[in-house]
Amino acid sequence: MRALAKWVAATAAAVSLAASAACGGDPPTDEKVVEFWYYQPTPEQSKQVKELLKRFEETEPTITIRLTEIPKDDYNTKLSSALGGGRGPDAGYLDQPLMARYANAGQLAEVPAGTITESDFYDGALRTNKISGKLFGIPLQQTTVALFYNRKLISTPPVTWDELVAESARVRRENPDLAGVNVPKGEGFGAWVFPAFVASAGGTMLDEGNRRIAFADPPAQEALAMWRKLLESSPRQITNSENPFHKGLAAMMFSGPWEVLAIRQQFPQLDFGVAPLPRKDVAASNIGGDNGVVFSKARNPDAAWKWLRFLSDATHNAEFSNITGNFPTNRKSARAAKINTDPAFKVFVDQLETAQARPAVPEWIQINDEYLAKAIEEGVDGGRSPADALADAAVRARKLLGWQ
Amino acid sequence: MNAVHRSGSWDRRRRDALAGFAFTAPAMLHTLVFMLVPAGAALYFSFTEWDMISPARWAGLRNYQEILFDSDLYSDFWKSVRVTALYALLSVPASLVTGFVQAYLIDLLRRGQAFYRLVFYLPVITAEAAVAAIWKWLYDPQFGLINAGLEVVGVRGPDWLGTPGVVIPALALIAAWQSGTAMLIFLAGLKGIPRTYYEAAEVDGANRWRQLGHITLPLLRPTTFYLVVTGVIAALQVFGIVYVLFGGNAGPERSGLSYVLHLYLFGYRNGAMGAASAMSVLLFVTVLLVTAAQFRLVPRQYEG
Repeated sequence: MRALAKWVAATAAAVSLAASAACGGDPPTDEKVVEFWYYQPTPEQSKQVKELLKRFEETEPTITIRLTEIPKDDYNTKLSSALGGGRGPDAGYLDQPLMARYANAGQLAEVPAGTITESDFYDGALRTNKISGKLFGIPLQQTTVALFYNRKLISTPPVTWDELVAESARVRRENPDLAGVNVPKGEGFGAWVFPAFVASAGGTMLDEGNRRIAFADPPAQEALAMWRKLLESSPRQITNSENPFHKGLAAMMFSGPWEVLAIRQQFPQLDFGVAPLPRKDVAASNIGGDNGVVFSKARNPDAAWKWLRFLSDATHNAEFSNITGNFPTNRKSARAAKINTDPAFKVFVDQLETAQARPAVPEWIQINDEYLAKAIEEGVDGGRSPADALADAAVRARKLLGWQ
Repeated sequence: MNAVHRSGSWDRRRRDALAGFAFTAPAMLHTLVFMLVPAGAALYFSFTEWDMISPARWAGLRNYQEILFDSDLYSDFWKSVRVTALYALLSVPASLVTGFVQAYLIDLLRRGQAFYRLVFYLPVITAEAAVAAIWKWLYDPQFGLINAGLEVVGVRGPDWLGTPGVVIPALALIAAWQSGTAMLIFLAGLKGIPRTYYEAAEVDGANRWRQLGHITLPLLRPTTFYLVVTGVIAALQVFGIVYVLFGGNAGPERSGLSYVLHLYLFGYRNGAMGAASAMSVLLFVTVLLVTAAQFRLVPRQYEG
């Protein structure tokens, strides 16, 4: 049976990799080659990354970094297929919520002691690299969400939840064709934004130490109930149009820094502002972004770590995240970065200080995209009470995690 | 002489056989390497727990058991079955009817058949991503062309892709628009019906409708049967259009969660490739059974 299993696995791997098997041959021995995978940027960004790489290779003449650009949507699929077939890259990006799955599968090399100084990094971003207390990657870039508001409709952005609900209702009252807020939907994105509101009400999503689901507790119920209230003044028939905020159909939205550039380029007539997420008790936000990891089968791990350290150090991290349209993870670099002079971006930088890392369990993507998404849909759009919807999601998460 | 002749013919037959194998080798190799081996691998992995990045662990029938009976871990499985069944039920007749109407009308034309054939076939060869982008705009609840058109006649259109009950009909409409393949095959079927039947019917005084009901449709039965069978198989495996339209979110209340999208999400998003393999085996068996049932129940030939 095991021989058969091996044969089947090997054949399947060979088949799934037939397409990517066309990679180059082995390099000469004294040269250290690192195959590095990252998200395919725009052609302009790609040029800038290559210039950055040239500077790295000037300081490290024996190291050659081979950049492979993979479209973001296909990245995780391609990476797991390649690693499964034993032909993966030496190092590359890894989406924060995937860290636990890859670390537990033994696919990631631990960060050698002394590679980075942990206190240089934003805590939220750094913690996404820690699995069971061990560091498996270096945060390269991060992102979060804030409140976008239309200045034509809103003069002072709301600071508290109560003000947010009141502003939304006022906009709707005064403009029957418009929606107050583009309320996040019960889907992956909405579930990713949700923890920011839960944390603001004093809650968390999981208590991993005590193996307890926390996202059905009162703070999460309050957060969901608030979204539900927002929906009363924000009909989906209006916000389901594409880009409702950009087109002036919704007065507010919760979204990330990528929208700042998108709106300025594609909707220049929109007069908008960015403010911190409205809060209940404490200021809080969520976090997303990418870590740099070295895979356990890497040929030249030392060289790979040098490259990742270069991308995340005080001198280059801001430059790198500027190129890719994200935020630096290195505090020193962030302070020196251009983004501080742009008021819209400054809000995000400040908000990253209060960012909450996602729970470090391998199943989190499924819990986020399936269970929480469904709870949000039922509790906000559907006919169920937030408490019931979240309790159901908690039961399912407990079963999936085996936290009985 | 006779012996020489026989051996020569035997040689030639062997050469023919060899040439035959050589010509079919690429296709057979393709079937073996890209279809049979992966299918065999999927069958094996369906009995394991496997996330593609760590070694597969034998799980016996647990995947099948949980998929079919554990509504906490696979709460959307039966939903995806219902979504797919409804989609097949609506989209196959819709594309058959539009395909037939197009073919029938084109067949009536004296000139310009090639032009209309091309025009009606264009949606089929358009990239799926482009198709999805176009229909997203057409269905937009605020600025969509479809609702704007409905407004002209005084009907307030629904939020097509935002209302759970409307999503599958909206997808079936796209399938109907993409019925170019059915159109082409129906057209070929129509050309195969001898004109003499119609001439005889005309002499007997049968009008167009009676000709359609008593000659055209019955004689197209093998064509229709073929299209129903292949259409159902394709509909049960619908993936591209829902993936591009809704992504992993699968639409409002997962109303666009087709079976294969559900399978894909488990395999590639949740890292449950073992369970995804089990789902693909279940789909294979279902397609086999549905097709067998059609061969038994749907009339294939005209037995007038």
